[in-house]
Amino acid sequence: MISPELKQVILSALKLNDCELNDATAAYEVPGWDSLSHVNVVLAVEQHYGVRFKSVEVIRMKNVGDLQRLVDSKLAGQH
Amino acid sequence: MSMNPISSQDGSVWCRWCENADKSPDSVAIVHWRAGSPPRRWTRGELVRASELFATALRSSGIIKGDVCAIIARHNPLLYPLYLGCVCAGAIPAILAYPNPRLHPEKFRNGLQGMSQRSGLDWILTERALEAVLQPLIGKSTIKGLKFPLEDDKALTATPGPPPVTQCCGTDPLLLQHSSGTTGLQKPVLLSHRAVLEHVTEYGKLLGVSQEDKVASWLPLYHDMGLIATFHLPLTLGVPTILIDPFEWVLAPSLLLEVISGEQATLTWLPNFALSMMADKIHEDDLQGIALDSCRMIINCSEPVRHRDQEKFYRRFARRGLKREALSSCYAMAEMTFAVTQTPPGREPTTLAIDAQRFSRGVARPAADVTVGKICVSSGGLLPGCHIRIVDDEGNDVEDGRVGEIWIKSASMFDGYRNYPEKTAAALRDGWYLSGDLGFSIGDEYFIVGRKKDLVIVAGNNIYPEDIEMVMNDLPGVIPGRVVAFGEEDPELGSERLSVIAETPLTDEAERRQLRTAIVEAGMGIDVSIAKVYLVPPRFLVKSSAGKPSRSANKERAIRLKEEGAAMLAGA
Repeated sequence: MISPELKQVILSALKLNDCELNDATAAYEVPGWDSLSHVNVVLAVEQHYGVRFKSVEVIRMKNVGDLQRLVDSKLAGQH
Repeated sequence: MSMNPISSQDGSVWCRWCENADKSPDSVAIVHWRAGSPPRRWTRGELVRASELFATALRSSGIIKGDVCAIIARHNPLLYPLYLGCVCAGAIPAILAYPNPRLHPEKFRNGLQGMSQRSGLDWILTERALEAVLQPLIGKSTIKGLKFPLEDDKALTATPGPPPVTQCCGTDPLLLQHSSGTTGLQKPVLLSHRAVLEHVTEYGKLLGVSQEDKVASWLPLYHDMGLIATFHLPLTLGVPTILIDPFEWVLAPSLLLEVISGEQATLTWLPNFALSMMADKIHEDDLQGIALDSCRMIINCSEPVRHRDQEKFYRRFARRGLKREALSSCYAMAEMTFAVTQTPPGREPTTLAIDAQRFSRGVARPAADVTVGKICVSSGGLLPGCHIRIVDDEGNDVEDGRVGEIWIKSASMFDGYRNYPEKTAAALRDGWYLSGDLGFSIGDEYFIVGRKKDLVIVAGNNIYPEDIEMVMNDLPGVIPGRVVAFGEEDPELGSERLSVIAETPLTDEAERRQLRTAIVEAGMGIDVSIAKVYLVPPRFLVKSSAGKPSRSANKERAIRLKEEGAAMLAGA
């Protein structure tokens, strides 16, 4: 389940008003989310949540659900 | 060690690879790099042996000398012996881009069908994942069949026998690479063994390549910079090359620095946007332990070299050991095999602050006040065997410091686009290649400053606006024939991004939002990202003298109106 907060961070990074995002949504299905803007989305998510992803973690993410789980695990690790 | 040279005549690239393997079979030729996995290191001897096995399998599967084999595969350690195996078998390899998931399968298939008519593709060597998409092409194009050698382990586990003997000489075609355009509209360039051997030999001399060198690259091998500079050059000159997955690099740009540092690489080639991206987007945490002092040349090529991005890159990584003199630049194109000009090693490119006002009139003269000048970066001097003319609109040579179109002649120049007489006729005149690039010379150095043609270069990829306009014309809500596409400079990216202006009768804001999304999605369908959409009312677009909407005039108008906050462009 994608949190409204993560969805908003992604939409803002891509300058989108709205877009359907669910666990299975892959970057290539989202308007404007291409290989060049991917790094901006990742940086925006890292900045918003105050977390850091490793290169391998970024490379292995297949969809928005993976991103949500990665954020959740990083936040859990901070507590 | 006894290598059996399959090509019986000297002068072939395969012979050179075998000679290199004979000289030092245990030296590393290629390092296949994947993030988070141990690298696969191919020694020269192993690579030649595996290539011979692939050649045997390809020949026994019906591939004969002169067949064009399109290779469509993701980053795979077996891709290299497969490519070399094609050469060994006398076939002509052509590496094509693996389809991005956003590219509609039908568009991908139609593109390949169009390409096959021009390039004369005979076989597609690919992955099973693409079988269903590509199978319908058999019988409807020049393509005789699909093969899956990367997933068929029979080839590499076969008992080694005598490899197929292929008569091959320097004038025979070696490879097919493609220049510009979306799939199907790309122009095929056929290069001979001799052209590639001579080119990489001369280019290597100019770069001062020695046995101490190591290349590191994330560049895709379907691009001339990746294929010639980071694959053929090191393989031919006998220096190792470390190849990173382009898809992984773009997700984690620090990978290249990790590889340079870890493998002590000395040479890398990058399009301008990559320097900007690495300077801006790599987190400081990812630089812990990174040392770049081994790197003697970072060659900026395939896009106009932007001074601010060179500087930004140097400032960011100087404290990691990057030497200022490692910054370098090159002017290259597939039609010339690759490089035309190159700055010398050990010296950063010359820069020239020129008077912006006079520059807009085509005169490059030093600016009295550098704060208002434009800074141009030199792409260096000519490679041996290359000649450049800079000409005005009538084809007359212009003097030093005057901007004109760049015409090129070179020893490693192509003969023409394969099966494309009309494009060949438009590109060649009296033995000169009309590049469509604008530039000027100062003494022996050349400065590339723009394009005469409407080509857009996005992150090193050439895109023709007409390919985009053709797709947008079919969208409901867009007035057919009333669309222009063009490139807009994106300083943050260090490259251009694509913009589209479309005339529409729609006035309802919700419908206009939908149309904007539809335009972006139509771009995604042909694997092109549209960064900005300007929706304008009917009869907005200015026509050129030819009666078509003018790209340059409409670009200026739309940007100006947007900056002025025109209501009709709100939301662009």
